[in-house]
Amino acid sequence: MTERLILILATLVLALIGLLPVAAMLKETLIADGSFSLDAYRALLASDGQFAVLVGHSLQLSFLTAVISTLIGVPLGVLLGKTDLPLRGALTLLFTAPLLVPSYVLAVAWFSILGRTGLLGRVLPDAWSQEISSAFFGLFGCTFVLVTAFMPIAMLLTIAFLRTVNPRLENAGRLVSGWPRILLRITLPLMAPAIVFAAVLTFLLSLGEIGVPMYLRFPVYPVETLTQFAAFYDFRAATVAAAPLLLVTLIILGFQTGLHKRVLELGRRTPNGQVVVVALGPWRLPLFLLVLALAIVVVATPLGALVVQSSSLEIYKVALFRAGDSVLRSLAFAATSATLLAVLGFFLGYLSERRTLPIWWANEWLALLLLALPGSVIGIGLISLWNTKATSFIYASPAILVLGYVAQYAILPMRVVAASLGTIPRSLEQAARLSGAGWFMTLREIVAPLAGRGLIAAWLIGYVFSLRDIAISMVVYPPGSDTLPIRILTLMANGAPSLVAVLCIILIAITLLPLGVAGLWLKVGAKRP
Amino acid sequence: MLKWPVLAAAAFAVIAFAVWRLLPGGQSPTVVVYVSHDQVFSEPILKDFENETGIKVRAVYDTEETKSTGTMNRLIAEKNNPQADVYWANEPIRAEVLRQQGIAAPYISPNAEGIAGSFKDPNGYWTGFAARARVLIVNKNAGAKPDSLLAYADPQWRGKTVIANPLFGTTTTEIAALFVLWGDERAQAFMSALKANGIKLSPSNGDSADLVAAGEFAFSLVDSDDVVSRMRQHQPIDLVYPDQGADGLGCFLVPNAVVLIAQAPHPDVGKKLIDYLLSKETEAKLARSDAAQIPLHSGVDGPPKLLPIDKVKTTQVNYTEIAAKLQAIQPFLKRWVESGS
Repeated sequence: MTERLILILATLVLALIGLLPVAAMLKETLIADGSFSLDAYRALLASDGQFAVLVGHSLQLSFLTAVISTLIGVPLGVLLGKTDLPLRGALTLLFTAPLLVPSYVLAVAWFSILGRTGLLGRVLPDAWSQEISSAFFGLFGCTFVLVTAFMPIAMLLTIAFLRTVNPRLENAGRLVSGWPRILLRITLPLMAPAIVFAAVLTFLLSLGEIGVPMYLRFPVYPVETLTQFAAFYDFRAATVAAAPLLLVTLIILGFQTGLHKRVLELGRRTPNGQVVVVALGPWRLPLFLLVLALAIVVVATPLGALVVQSSSLEIYKVALFRAGDSVLRSLAFAATSATLLAVLGFFLGYLSERRTLPIWWANEWLALLLLALPGSVIGIGLISLWNTKATSFIYASPAILVLGYVAQYAILPMRVVAASLGTIPRSLEQAARLSGAGWFMTLREIVAPLAGRGLIAAWLIGYVFSLRDIAISMVVYPPGSDTLPIRILTLMANGAPSLVAVLCIILIAITLLPLGVAGLWLKVGAKRP
Repeated sequence: MLKWPVLAAAAFAVIAFAVWRLLPGGQSPTVVVYVSHDQVFSEPILKDFENETGIKVRAVYDTEETKSTGTMNRLIAEKNNPQADVYWANEPIRAEVLRQQGIAAPYISPNAEGIAGSFKDPNGYWTGFAARARVLIVNKNAGAKPDSLLAYADPQWRGKTVIANPLFGTTTTEIAALFVLWGDERAQAFMSALKANGIKLSPSNGDSADLVAAGEFAFSLVDSDDVVSRMRQHQPIDLVYPDQGADGLGCFLVPNAVVLIAQAPHPDVGKKLIDYLLSKETEAKLARSDAAQIPLHSGVDGPPKLLPIDKVKTTQVNYTEIAAKLQAIQPFLKRWVESGS
């Protein structure tokens, strides 16, 4: 009874935080002059061929980004999570860094390298630099920047989900075959849900991306939403413009559900958290050099451009003076959201995994839809719902930001916890219940400790995504309470590039802080007898 | 196994939250201002206001990503329960839109007295101050120098020109002004000629200025502050005031505008901030700063790298007419942008 009650409560919390603002916006799109009307949707369908071109561009960019990110991220995750490659921890942190920076900032950093008068442009012959610069401004450049930004998703999920693979199956495989074949035939197929999830996540994040395509002048569909907001001041049309994105999300979700169901069953039979380490032997050094080269190209180069621009200590002092408050606020908001996301994610992830209530799938769909919605639409929904005299105490406070983050990113901790719970045999819970333990006690004493790493990962993911959020923060941040990414963006308009670069470095540092603490804790924990 | 990391996470959250709670502090009077002028230029002015009056300023700033319309859209979305007292717009069209939507309240500041009537609403719904000029940024290696907006349609510059997306910002305003001054037919023909001459679009004026400075394009129509900032970075560019000939349209001016919000939570301190922004001292600060804004009060020194306002032939326009025209031509501009170049 308690179990059902708490899980229903968690479902209602997600609905209240996520569904109500969207419903408020949806209602606006269906009412014109006080009566029901589908005019806004008809207007969208009646728009000329440009609609199809923009949707085509968006799908093209998202598909390429998802495929390339997954093709690079998964092998990289395997190398960093399952082999004896040197400096695995440091390399993992290094590759994660671009995910922590708003992708628009990455595009600017890359422009300072690949632009015609950029670092590379200055040393190359003019014709070459012109060629590279023109290629950078378009689909190629957008895909390149977004791959560097989102590739860590596939890498990190691969590292995390490698632990769900039963080492006994791999050990059995080793009796008859070498590691390459085992990885291709056993390990990776068992991890297929994680790989597909990484690709879907990257696809959805790329689909909603505005900053990079706008900067690199590649017209994509989400710009339509921005145009309706920014040029026409039409909230109805802007919300309706988000409908095709939702449709694409629903199609992907439908496709993914079947695959998810089939393969997750296999992954659930993996009770052991140990990872069998692949000894690379003579390939250790060449592969290390290859990974290092990749790190230099996709991480060190753009971040190095930021460091080069911020070489004076004086700039750090100015940055902390001008944005110190924003740094503290970002820490506070992200930590609070991450804690709520981890708690909500624990219960919703438990529901998804154990399927105690028949409506478990509704949470998954709602949470994934919320991730796919443009943050600006969620933001306007939050304003419609919460900006009333009675609820001003929430709207005019940072609570509105926290609600926005929890709504948009709920799927991430939920999935991480669900995957983590998938490795815990139900028999342990059943044994505890038979011994007289209540549901809460079973969760506290059995489930939560065994899912500890998953919970920490859920908290960290919630923290990272809340910290780097721009779309929601931009629309609803309370007066005088901007976050660091917002301050970076507002200072990018005519602010000194060195100041912007320093703030980006500070953003990376505060994002890495809890990741570093968690890494140290895992290291200390691993050494304990 | 789980206890201490969970405790650590909770402690981290509590401490961080407590630190944040400590920051606002004090019970001093507060004014809430939404700002679409660049933060890097507007924040120091608001800090000075805080220091001089003791009134705490809580600001929401705009970003390039929302094309400086985020705060205005937020004001519209918050119409039923306004949170802001004052809106500092970076151009009068946004202020005019707020007036039309019933979001602006009338207030005639005593400091608005020295500002010409063409730069303010006659009923006090908005008042202009500290303007930018719309000028041409030209790469020093471009060869000849264009001296008119019409150069965009000149085959000599085919494929060598760039302009910020005319759906957003001051570029929209200037094109709307052309529609008002020339009439729809001539203005549409001019826009078609730009497309035929291979004009390229950039996301913003700042990007256009960077692209010209980087030698990607020969020239672009941008705001004067975009050019001045690149001059201070010693980029290889020149500034040209367009259409200064006897028959020329003149250079288009875009002042900032300040608005008191209807049903503002703190209207009295809001009016004090408006008075401060409209003062000669604020105009002088904005002129001296990197914003290089041109004062509208007479007797205030202008930015060092720009000509004084009385030495430049300016376009004579009515901003209310431009606001109305701008909304009328948006569908045309959207089609123009989407038609490809």
